[in-house]
Amino acid sequence: MAKKTTLKKAFLSGNESLARGAWESGLSVACAYPGTPSTEILEAMAGYKELDVQWSVNEKVAYEVAYGAAVGGVRSLFACKHVGLNVAMDPLMTSSYAGVNAGFVVVVCDDPDMHSSQNEQDTRWVGIYAKLPVLEPSSPAEAKEFMAEAFKISEKFDTPVIVRLTTRISHTKEDVKLGKRIKVKPIKLEPNMQKYVMVPGNARIRHAFIEKRIEKMQKFAERTKLNKVEMNDTKLGIITSSVTYNYLKEVYPDASYLKLGFLYPFCDEKIKAFSKSVKKLVVVEELDPFLEEHIKALGIKKAKFKHPSFRLGELSPGVVADVINSNAKNVKKRPGRAPRLCAGCPHWVTFSVLKKLGLFVAGDIGCYTLGALPPTSALHTCVCMGAGVTFNEGLRRAHPDGKIVGVVGDSTFVHSGVTGLINAVYNKAKGIIFILDNSTTAMTGGQQHPATGWTIRNEKTKRLDLKRLCKACGADNVDVINPIGHKKELEALVKKRIDEDALSVIIAKDPCVLMKKKK
Amino acid sequence: MIMKKKTAYNITFGGIGGQGTIKASELVGFAAMYEGFHVKKSEVHGMSQRGGSVESHVRFGKKIFSPLVAPGQADFLLCFQGDEHYRLKPFLKTDGVDLMGYLKPALDMIENPRHLNTALVGVLAAYLPISNASWQKALKTVFKPSILDGNKKVFRDAKKLVK
Repeated sequence: MAKKTTLKKAFLSGNESLARGAWESGLSVACAYPGTPSTEILEAMAGYKELDVQWSVNEKVAYEVAYGAAVGGVRSLFACKHVGLNVAMDPLMTSSYAGVNAGFVVVVCDDPDMHSSQNEQDTRWVGIYAKLPVLEPSSPAEAKEFMAEAFKISEKFDTPVIVRLTTRISHTKEDVKLGKRIKVKPIKLEPNMQKYVMVPGNARIRHAFIEKRIEKMQKFAERTKLNKVEMNDTKLGIITSSVTYNYLKEVYPDASYLKLGFLYPFCDEKIKAFSKSVKKLVVVEELDPFLEEHIKALGIKKAKFKHPSFRLGELSPGVVADVINSNAKNVKKRPGRAPRLCAGCPHWVTFSVLKKLGLFVAGDIGCYTLGALPPTSALHTCVCMGAGVTFNEGLRRAHPDGKIVGVVGDSTFVHSGVTGLINAVYNKAKGIIFILDNSTTAMTGGQQHPATGWTIRNEKTKRLDLKRLCKACGADNVDVINPIGHKKELEALVKKRIDEDALSVIIAKDPCVLMKKKK
Repeated sequence: MIMKKKTAYNITFGGIGGQGTIKASELVGFAAMYEGFHVKKSEVHGMSQRGGSVESHVRFGKKIFSPLVAPGQADFLLCFQGDEHYRLKPFLKTDGVDLMGYLKPALDMIENPRHLNTALVGVLAAYLPISNASWQKALKTVFKPSILDGNKKVFRDAKKLVK
């Protein structure tokens, strides 16, 4: 007699639920660099002892290691935030050509409304650009279910699969039913140069293959249960996806829905049939007009779309009625309190010195970006990871005698600052690069990186010595100073170095106060 | 005091980084799950440790779709601080329960300021259809053993603040 087993429930965030789903699907290897709102995916995976997980030095490296494992024959995963995917675009574009051996899933967490990001880019377009399938769960519980499908799709169609979450799914918690881990046999690794050596002759053949793959996946999009029709009252039909579906269900419980979970390639026949079956048809999506442009191209005249003002920011249950009625955005929000550097943070001292000396400060992504806000107001550029180093060089090429410095964090320096330093040395740039070393990846909640000497599972590993690294790169001076209690010394050092005909690195080193508290 | 049976209970929490806003919503989320409800809880915690505004939404019932409470739909508003209360007031239903009046009595009651979140959840618990067993289980899940007893006591005492 079959035993009745009650499945356990857990209260999981979208990120934790996705991690669980990947684990249940027989995942072996997962790699990422931290980035809000995606960070907790790898943190949750580190809790499953069967998995080989790592914080990689940056997203390109993470992607290549994880993809390499998939080519090696085990199910693998790469996770990042939307802007992190930009760093990994090089391997992503050609991995689409080469395809997979065992399943490979690319998880990307977008941040509509930029709760903690420098832009609001919409990852769905990458599906079209890279010719890869895009799956979009609408809730934490679905994030788990979709992972099982994602690995199957990857292996069935010989393709990396993009799974897109947004902040409101990543950071929503829901009670989720837990399942068991399936056993997946590793697939044999055998040389297949036509498939994995992307030289022109082979890549031309693979390009033809992926065009065919798109056609096959289009047919799959028509029949997969990930694209769900819910017929209710036919007066109003809504085509939607992601968390937006849940906002709408709250406000329009009686409407009919075409809920897209397998977003790209598009299910054209399903879209056309659904549009015929309802009286009024509205397409509701967050950010860019991704579905809108395609549905317009299908020539579905009755479809209504959101007002362009809603291409900015998040949707919410409070605004969906305006979206449905194509009204302009009219959101009155009372302002919130801005974040700032923590009390006791060593960056306070460094920024107060830079401000006092009236320097132009090139910055990038990390806690120290908060140095741009009052009262320090001493950071003048922020575009992307590592640019604190390279912007110093670029600004100085425009102003060779400018009072310009660059700042970069310790984790960010390892991520993509070190290449800029090598470039600066090689091309004879001058000035000061500050490594604001708080000995952690602070902004995302304190993750380990090579210069801390600890792994994602807090196991000891070889520690990268930043001072010796900078010297090996060829910096003329490398000074290490603790800014706390040494403001005068720091000021004197900056004054001395700024006028020298040299490229200097100042490592301002004191551990993050939040990490001290944690211990 | 417990509210009449509803299809969904909507609670909006507000505070500033470091006040325990997320922990408070976590406690309610677990308790509702242990009680057998479908629960969704949403917040943005990218900047929560840097002193910025923190806002968390918890919704539970038989079947919950939206993880966010719509403006004017919160049955309860639980804030730790005046500015955040002003900011989030538009979420409260016209007949919703504003727990701001309990902030001072709760502060007067506790000895350790870190217990404020548990105290205010204790007040909220007096209104919610969640059994004591589920609350106790949630407290045990959310707090580590070294601080569990202190929080249990504050939770119990705070319930008495509700007349």
